[in-house]
Amino acid sequence: MNQERMIRVLIAKVGLDGHDKGAILLSSRLMNAGMEVIYTGLRRSANQVINAAIQEDVDVIGVSILSGAHISVAQKILQKMKEEEIEDVLLVMGGVIPDVDIPKLTEIGVAGVFTQSSSFDEIIEFINNKVRAKNQAS
Amino acid sequence: MSSRDKEIEKIRKAKITWEEGTLKKNMQQLRLGKSPVDFFTPADLEDHDFLENVGFPGEYPFTAGRFAIPILNVMWGRGQALGAGKAVKHSYGYAGYGTAEDMRDYYIERGKTPARGGGPNIAFDLPTQIGYDSDHELAEGEVGNVGVAVDTLKDFETIYEAFTGDMDLDRIASSWTINAPANIIIAMYIALAQKRNIPLEKLRGTPQNDILKEFVARGTQIFPINPSMRMTRDTFTYCTEFLPNMNTISISGYHMREAGATRVQTIAFTFANAIAYFETAINAGLDVDQFAGKTSFLNFGGGMEVLKEAASRRAARRVWAKIMRDRLHSNNPSLWTIKELGGGLVGASSCTKQRPINNLVRVVLGAAFSALIGEPPMAHPPFDEPLGLGHSKEATQLSADATRIIIEECNLCDVLDPLAGSYYVESLTNQYEKEIFNIVSKIDEMGGAVKAVESGWMKREVTKSASEFQRKMELKEIVSVGVNKYTDPDELEIMIPRTPPYKMERREDAEKRQIAHLYEVKKTRDNIKVQACLERIRNAANDESANLIPLFVEAVKDYVSIGEICRVLREVFGEAL
Repeated sequence: MNQERMIRVLIAKVGLDGHDKGAILLSSRLMNAGMEVIYTGLRRSANQVINAAIQEDVDVIGVSILSGAHISVAQKILQKMKEEEIEDVLLVMGGVIPDVDIPKLTEIGVAGVFTQSSSFDEIIEFINNKVRAKNQAS
Repeated sequence: MSSRDKEIEKIRKAKITWEEGTLKKNMQQLRLGKSPVDFFTPADLEDHDFLENVGFPGEYPFTAGRFAIPILNVMWGRGQALGAGKAVKHSYGYAGYGTAEDMRDYYIERGKTPARGGGPNIAFDLPTQIGYDSDHELAEGEVGNVGVAVDTLKDFETIYEAFTGDMDLDRIASSWTINAPANIIIAMYIALAQKRNIPLEKLRGTPQNDILKEFVARGTQIFPINPSMRMTRDTFTYCTEFLPNMNTISISGYHMREAGATRVQTIAFTFANAIAYFETAINAGLDVDQFAGKTSFLNFGGGMEVLKEAASRRAARRVWAKIMRDRLHSNNPSLWTIKELGGGLVGASSCTKQRPINNLVRVVLGAAFSALIGEPPMAHPPFDEPLGLGHSKEATQLSADATRIIIEECNLCDVLDPLAGSYYVESLTNQYEKEIFNIVSKIDEMGGAVKAVESGWMKREVTKSASEFQRKMELKEIVSVGVNKYTDPDELEIMIPRTPPYKMERREDAEKRQIAHLYEVKKTRDNIKVQACLERIRNAANDESANLIPLFVEAVKDYVSIGEICRVLREVFGEAL
């Protein structure tokens, strides 16, 4: 029997904005889609996020940010992921992120960037495909 | 049976005849099992009493509006040269970015607002709003981003260099969108005024200072709810005594609506929060008629069903008037109204990133219906709201022109409450009034808004509604054009040029410049005095009865930073997330 492990996702509010509607709704949608979700709550530092990701042994870190600090936040998290050698974890970001910044984020190593125009289904499909591809590769 | 009852009975019978005749026939022709449209008659408004339910503009229950002549009509001039048509552009000017100099230069370049009270409407960056200095670890990447960075009084002094002479602090009104550290910002304004020899009683301004909704929706709370409410009490008592022309609070529904609350929940939660604030002031020994005039509401946000929005606002006016008169026992009817900053009836969350110029159509509809209920027809937000920080000059121009067109071409503001007497709008207004009161009663049973917020109930309710809205969007029961419908490849994405409102390149290195300023201030101030101020604040914070504002004034004059003050308060009060 195929004992595939449930996909584990850490949804993190990084940066100082308090807009958590997207993070909370997405968390519940990912759970409905059969994933295990850990939600960090507001205002987490890169260190806190990475520590939680390691502790919870997640496949995906989903960062929600609407403060405009997405580039510096992504840099810090990616740096920390490198230091902790968890670069195999999928980093995705969502929030109010201007289109011009999306290539900048993917270039430095963010696997996927989702904005207000993304649907939950798109995000779920993206995570499913990427994690499955990674598991098959390893 | 009275003649009115007879009349209603006649209409009711006629409606049945219509339903079984004309309507049924029409449904059969169109092969419909159920009619997709409603029609309302006087029978839906059985107990309607004009004087009781609507009344005259400027009189209880204020359904038809706050004033017999709305301020808008006076400001606009209508033939007089009062210049509000020009000033409307600045009223879209909630702004902030970069460092204090960037902000000062922005205001200087923007030019004078040709209206009374044309002070700055300042957006602060998130570290300032959450009480962290610009050099704090969590501030990295956030400094000068969503607003201007303010660490010490030095920054305030710099911003207000743009406001001197005939625009000095005694001539303008300032607006500060800040909550947890609101009293420190008020203290900075006081310190600045004292340095300029301006009497405190001349100071006019509005801090947002509405902490309860931060816990529910906006998320910039710093301290737990009880010490937070204590600081709100401090605002009320201090301002009532020393700053009689300063507003104390701008109670907001907008953020809860944006976070997903329904229109009825938004109004009910806002009023429940308002009751909690007012009771806090009353328990501190103030008389409601003494402080209520200096409180205001921000606005209630909105949605695309503008006719329902309009009815809900008419209901809100009536509910608040009843709360003020019957529950808070105010004896001054002019204080029973919703003093609102205003805004359209459509919120930012109705706006879409897809085909964003459609947002102009959306907000114009909201603005037109605002006009129909006697509120300023603000076509807010400018259409590029979902595209990132800072509305372009073009988007702001279009919004300002929309307001002008509604007022000066359509003359929509020339009649008050033209929806009054509409069978549909009146019956909906009645229904909303009942629903709002029901939720307020439910919150009373929980022990009031402070308890309902502290337990997380209010936030859970908002989240439930957000989730329900999302579900309906996905099922296309709620349509958003270009988002969940009309998305085929043959639909056109349209964009016009957008000029940033700010010198964006300045935002790039704002953090570095701001931290350098902060170090400079810390190096040149008297650090022994700073420590003494912080100790006095710590001691006073431990004494629940103490008002901290005088100590904040003293501290900011010695250039103690917001981050330093908040760190001490965090140590005493604890922190809430």
